[in-house]
Amino acid sequence: MSTSDTPAIACQSLWQVFGPSADKALTEALARSGGNADAAAEDLRARGYIPAVQDASFEVREGELFVIMGLSGSGKSTLIRCISQLLPGTGGEIRIDGENVIGASKQKLTELRRRKLGMVFQHFGLFPHMTVAENVAYPLKVQGVGRKERRARAQEVISLVGLDGREDSFPRQLSGGQRQRVGIARSLAVNPDIWFLDEPFSALDPLIRRQLQDEFLRIQATLRKSIVFITHDIAEALKLADRIAIMRDGKIVQIGTPTEIVLQPVDDYVREFSKDVAKGRHARVASVMQAGDGERGPDDPGLTTNMTLDAALARCMELYQPVPVRDAGGAIVGTVNPSDLAAALQVDEA
Amino acid sequence: MSAVADVAAPHATRLTVGAKAALITALVGALCLALEPVVPWLGAWPKTWVLPMTDWVGTALTWLLGWIKPVARLFSDVMVYPMDWANTALNATPWPMVIGIVTALGWYLGGLSMAALGFFGLGLVLASGYWHEGMNTLALVAVSVPVALVVGGGIGILANEVPRVKGAVQAVLDIMQTVPTFAYLTPLLLLFGFGPVVGLIASAIYAAPPMARNVMLGLERVEAEIKEAAIMSGGSRMQQLFQVEIPSASRQIMVGFNQCLMAALSMVIIAAVIGGFNDIGWEVLLTMRKAQFGPSLLAGMVIVIFAVVIDRMSAVLATERKRYDLRVVWAVLAFAVAFTVLFWSSLPGASEVAMLDGVADSMDRGLTRFTQANGMALEALKNNTLFYILLPLRIGLDQAVLPFTWGFMWSPAMSALVFGLGGALGLLLAWRGNVTGGIVVLIAFGMIETGVTNLPWPFVLTGAAALGYVAGGRRLAILVVVLLCTILVSGLWDRALLSLYLCGASVFACAVVGGAIGVASAIWAPVWRVVRPICDMLQTIPLFVFLIPVLMLFQIGEFSAFLAICAYAIVPMIRYTRHGLVDTPDEMMEAAISSGATEWQILRDVRAPYAAPTILLGLNQTILYAFSMLVIAALIGTTGLGQSIYLALGQADVGLGISAGAAMAILALIADRLVQGFAEERRKALGL
Repeated sequence: MSTSDTPAIACQSLWQVFGPSADKALTEALARSGGNADAAAEDLRARGYIPAVQDASFEVREGELFVIMGLSGSGKSTLIRCISQLLPGTGGEIRIDGENVIGASKQKLTELRRRKLGMVFQHFGLFPHMTVAENVAYPLKVQGVGRKERRARAQEVISLVGLDGREDSFPRQLSGGQRQRVGIARSLAVNPDIWFLDEPFSALDPLIRRQLQDEFLRIQATLRKSIVFITHDIAEALKLADRIAIMRDGKIVQIGTPTEIVLQPVDDYVREFSKDVAKGRHARVASVMQAGDGERGPDDPGLTTNMTLDAALARCMELYQPVPVRDAGGAIVGTVNPSDLAAALQVDEA
Repeated sequence: MSAVADVAAPHATRLTVGAKAALITALVGALCLALEPVVPWLGAWPKTWVLPMTDWVGTALTWLLGWIKPVARLFSDVMVYPMDWANTALNATPWPMVIGIVTALGWYLGGLSMAALGFFGLGLVLASGYWHEGMNTLALVAVSVPVALVVGGGIGILANEVPRVKGAVQAVLDIMQTVPTFAYLTPLLLLFGFGPVVGLIASAIYAAPPMARNVMLGLERVEAEIKEAAIMSGGSRMQQLFQVEIPSASRQIMVGFNQCLMAALSMVIIAAVIGGFNDIGWEVLLTMRKAQFGPSLLAGMVIVIFAVVIDRMSAVLATERKRYDLRVVWAVLAFAVAFTVLFWSSLPGASEVAMLDGVADSMDRGLTRFTQANGMALEALKNNTLFYILLPLRIGLDQAVLPFTWGFMWSPAMSALVFGLGGALGLLLAWRGNVTGGIVVLIAFGMIETGVTNLPWPFVLTGAAALGYVAGGRRLAILVVVLLCTILVSGLWDRALLSLYLCGASVFACAVVGGAIGVASAIWAPVWRVVRPICDMLQTIPLFVFLIPVLMLFQIGEFSAFLAICAYAIVPMIRYTRHGLVDTPDEMMEAAISSGATEWQILRDVRAPYAAPTILLGLNQTILYAFSMLVIAALIGTTGLGQSIYLALGQADVGLGISAGAAMAILALIADRLVQGFAEERRKALGL
């Protein structure tokens, strides 16, 4: 892997249009609209085409966890299938490690997948007739890696996802969470540089989901892959992402860090998403701070710019003494420490 | 017909599409009846207008077949070898070994019950004395099935890989399913000559489509994500196909394997009609012709045993993953070998066992006694059905009512009375808001008066077009008319109407009786427990075998054919009716119960409407089943297209065989499209 600042993935004006001879239709629509993407999309829709991804441009840096968030039908699944070339891509450019993959030959794509790409699917996509170990080793098998070597490498990744002892089970004998662990292990078998995850945790129930998210973060902390992660869950996006792209009706409406998405939404659509999100957990003190050495009181709870709002509030509250609590008749029945109050309001990491 | 009535909108004042279509049909019919005395060509299509299409088809095909013939003959010469090998292998293997192998296979696939099925099944075959005939039949199956599997699987995979040919392949498979089996025996006869190889090739041709269909379906149904995972793993297309997609589709492919086996067996037996070659189908045919019903039943039983054993064992492949202990398999095989070696010298020849000959003879005698004792009752049942139901339906009340049978002569006044009755009933229905139903009732009365085979052709065309328009719009109406016109000008019209009448009568009987049994099975579980194994049995039995019992009781004739068709075609009606009614979503049932509906109200208001599309599909299957049985039933005496096909086979007349087969396929196709159209319309109305 080169250490230059070439992004791992770079998409430039990427289009995916569905319909008969979509390439031509797209070129013509763009010509008619003078390159205006919105007008071209409108034009295509009017002609019965479906522009599922419109003019998407973004970069994923090396080792970055890039989350694409959107509701169902927003085109996020189509977008990740474009990048992984499961769909051909109608227009624009996708550069993986600097090389354009749109229009690349079949051999070249196969080669790319065998060395550099791994993908995890929403409904796991496990091969029902293979055991866990065979599923995980399959990407090695198609390259002609020997049985012993295959088994050893499969064992490694199976351990990494915590499935020791289930190597010879069949997918139908596993729970949903375990199946997705197999999916994750399989996608890591060839040690890819780029890792695609298409709503990997959406089909799981909430407790298992959180558990797998935490493990995913642990794995990513050691492997540092370049990741494209799809989700429809804003909480998941905010928890995992280095940066988030929000999609709507085939368009990317905003790209930013979790804090930017929460505190500076570009429009009402994005604002609507972050409404229910506890801002205290994502926003930093810097975002509400007044710069300069202005007027201030005598107290100093020890705030720093990169503290979350929740943590800063708790520190400030610690300066208070405990205060009384009365019953309905007005008699004092107990005390509350204000810092406990602040702590109780904090939401646990979801 | 009920579907037409359902289309009627609540507004009685404005005519719906269905009502308009029915009205036009009724008017055309009335006009034809009125003008027929003056303009005779309105009634029957004049002979002079018939194009010699049958001859043309014959000439073209004979020319074409002449070209292919050398290749075909070469192929058949080659196929003789594997057939001989299979024959020798199965016949030379001592019978304890064959039974042992089948028992061991049964154990491995399905445990004790399957092993018992194999053991006792083959034991019965041995006891019947038809061991060698049975092995000859199995040898044919054993050679034709691999051919069918390779060809069918190849076609399925090809259609999956090359999306452009998929539509064409689907269409060809559809046509092959509707063309009656006897119809393609005739050209095969010309190509390959008489003998067992024709049966082999016919059975391979007949058995390949179900395999192709299931392979296509299975590959299509592999989850998109599994296919994507294979791509992302970096597999080449061949690796994706053979390592991931085909194994993932294995269940569906096994269903195909099961259907392929059953089709091959069924066809091998039918093919006995053209190639007398000492197999079990031939045996049935021979004994039936000699009216030896005991041996005939015995031979039929051997066929049924083969069908049941093959079907159940191969079905396990698709439904169960569990396999049983291999050690038992070895033990069974070892025992079979030991048994063979120990008793080698005293082992009776397979055909000498024949322990059931006595049973057959006494059965024959018993049967004769039974038919003699109950001859009156049977005869009465047959004649009553014929004279009072089938015949009027065929040639109309005006010709069927004779002093000889009904005790009086039909008069024009009576015709007027029938029409008046129909009109009154129709008016009553129309007055209560169901205009379409009213007109349909009037039409039905008119048809009974005239008889199906005497219907004026403009009326049939208009009626079919009207049904087509209501079921599937203008395109379907045009298709139906064009297809019917080809029959009309080909000169096969009269025979087609005869087939239509017998088929219609059987389908109507199946719909009424089968529907009732289906409803009963849906309501009372005990009924289904009895009906289900019977249905399973009827569906497993090769078509040919249905002829034996009806022939025993009612001799050759239309009534026997009618019964045989009904026995075979009733099964889907029962199954689909029950399935549709039982399948009502729990939530809908709970909503109805909590609304306080009674059992009967739930059935009428909730389950029945929800089940309507499924029941229509059942009716559709019943129609197709009836058409396929119609041809087989020609063996025991029907008139119509089936008879033509059978005659053509005897005279090796390719033109007639193929034309009549095509006409039959056209009728089946039209019925299929019409009913599917109505089912689709119902499904849409329910938002399914």
